[in-house]
Amino acid sequence: MAEAQKFKQPTKKKPKKEDEGSTAPGELSSKKKKQLKVLDEFIEGVLQEAGEEFLDEFKQVEGQ
Amino acid sequence: MSIPKIVGIEQEYAIKIKGDENLSFFDASCTLVNAYARRLGLRDPKVNMLWDYGHETPYQDIRGDLFGKNTGQQIVGEKENRLINAGLPNGARLYTDHAHPEYSTPECLSARDALACDKAGEIILREGLKLMRDILPFTSVTLYKNNTDQQGHSYGCHENYLMAAHAHEACLVSHPERALKTLIPFLVTRQIFAGSGKTGARNGENSGPPYQISQRADFMENLFGLETMYARPLINTRREHHADPKRFRRLHLILGDANMCEFAGLLKLGSTQLVLQMLEDDFIDCDLTLKNPIEANKQISGNLGCVVELADGRKLTAVQIQREFLAYAQKFQPTDPSSRVPDDDLILNSWSYVLDGLEQLKLSADMVIEDDPLLLSRRLDWVLKLWIMNRYREGQNVTWGHPLLTVLDLQYHNIDGQEGIFYRTEDQGFTERLLTKDEIARFAYAAPDNTRAWFRGKCLEKFPEEIYLVNWEVVGFDQGDIYRVVPLLNPLKGTRDQYQKIFDQSRNARELIALLESDSIEP
Repeated sequence: MAEAQKFKQPTKKKPKKEDEGSTAPGELSSKKKKQLKVLDEFIEGVLQEAGEEFLDEFKQVEGQ
Repeated sequence: MSIPKIVGIEQEYAIKIKGDENLSFFDASCTLVNAYARRLGLRDPKVNMLWDYGHETPYQDIRGDLFGKNTGQQIVGEKENRLINAGLPNGARLYTDHAHPEYSTPECLSARDALACDKAGEIILREGLKLMRDILPFTSVTLYKNNTDQQGHSYGCHENYLMAAHAHEACLVSHPERALKTLIPFLVTRQIFAGSGKTGARNGENSGPPYQISQRADFMENLFGLETMYARPLINTRREHHADPKRFRRLHLILGDANMCEFAGLLKLGSTQLVLQMLEDDFIDCDLTLKNPIEANKQISGNLGCVVELADGRKLTAVQIQREFLAYAQKFQPTDPSSRVPDDDLILNSWSYVLDGLEQLKLSADMVIEDDPLLLSRRLDWVLKLWIMNRYREGQNVTWGHPLLTVLDLQYHNIDGQEGIFYRTEDQGFTERLLTKDEIARFAYAAPDNTRAWFRGKCLEKFPEEIYLVNWEVVGFDQGDIYRVVPLLNPLKGTRDQYQKIFDQSRNARELIALLESDSIEP
């Protein structure tokens, strides 16, 4: 099953700046700008909610 | 002659508990394992399956009993065994390892399947978390697929590769210099595409680069050895092959990072499969012995462009060393064409693409991405995480060393689809996907068709009440008056093609074994 599926081969062509992958500021489509804004707000919210005390709470016991 | 490079991943998940100070990591992990096992019917009163530790020999070394401890395996009673273990119908094992939930994928023939099975493990753990909420409604438990808590502790994402016994013996036991010339330099440098990135200093100390490529490099202290929790080696040498050791051996790598990006995960596994196959066929004849591999591992993690010194005095970058291996791989044809690494063309193209991209990637002294023309930030975890961190730094005007950057680092690996930063980034279209959702979901319930995992999974799916023990290399049935054990000593046998018909004809394990015996075959 898996073998029959095709991967998207990576291309060595430099992606155009308008491509969905581009993250260069000032050259983004409005859709990408909106997505970046959503992402930035999300990250800000996650970090705000977690706070710096998150680090103390995260201490782990080592696995084997 | 090289053999197919079956591969599997063992991922330890970090765990965070909020809302119940008395709930230990061990208890939370066991609750999760059992909640999921119960959901599959594996905790029904008639199911009494044990995980068989009989073939685990963590203190025996492949080079003899050099570091042997005569205590052997800790005794695990039946009750505890069932508390911490769940062999699953998808061929995987979900269990509690010390204080972590751990998911070991089934054996896979292709890197793509292994990647999908690893991602399916995340689905299973998410489901386990969901089920836990019914049991512990006032407790919040979160899981993280990473390798360090940023406080000096590390936990693994181990890889296992099937090797021909003769090649494994030659490379790691009788002539370890062969591994030093080839395998070790490959492993030390593959972090440039396989690393998951880490903010902060080494081992929780306050020195070192503000951001580095690898999560695990700081914790690696030896090349070979038995330990996994201190004095960690790149290659774990425990004599525990989970297959007929006269024909097969397990290469147990413990230096790798856990990948969230599919592209990085595929390339890590696929390139390693290719290098191992070239070693088995004696195809690589170069000598890239590093003067100090452990130090080089750390140096590269701290600086992509650094040059490391070889034993012969040459000075090369990690990209240059990887290019040597890629050049060999591009010319390589396995002695036995039937054992060719699946998707090898894609792996080679991706490998070449990434090395080109890394050569063109421009980072400022302050680790700002100045140019990334081949968009590695969509493909490699360490570049993607760096890009995210730089957006946050710029937006919030914070500098390296700020604690919230460390929080961001950890939250990148949160496996919750709504709360995890990686998954939200992926949802917004900023990563390159390779796998389909269906492909991943399938492996949450079904084992790969083309390894012994299929046979094990089918036994667990059809006859769980008759199984009294299971592990990677056996399935044991309780038939009332007698125990019957089906050995699975060849990881390449036990496939759907070989045994679907027999399973279709068997109403119970007794009939299954009778049919296996009448065919005079064993998986």
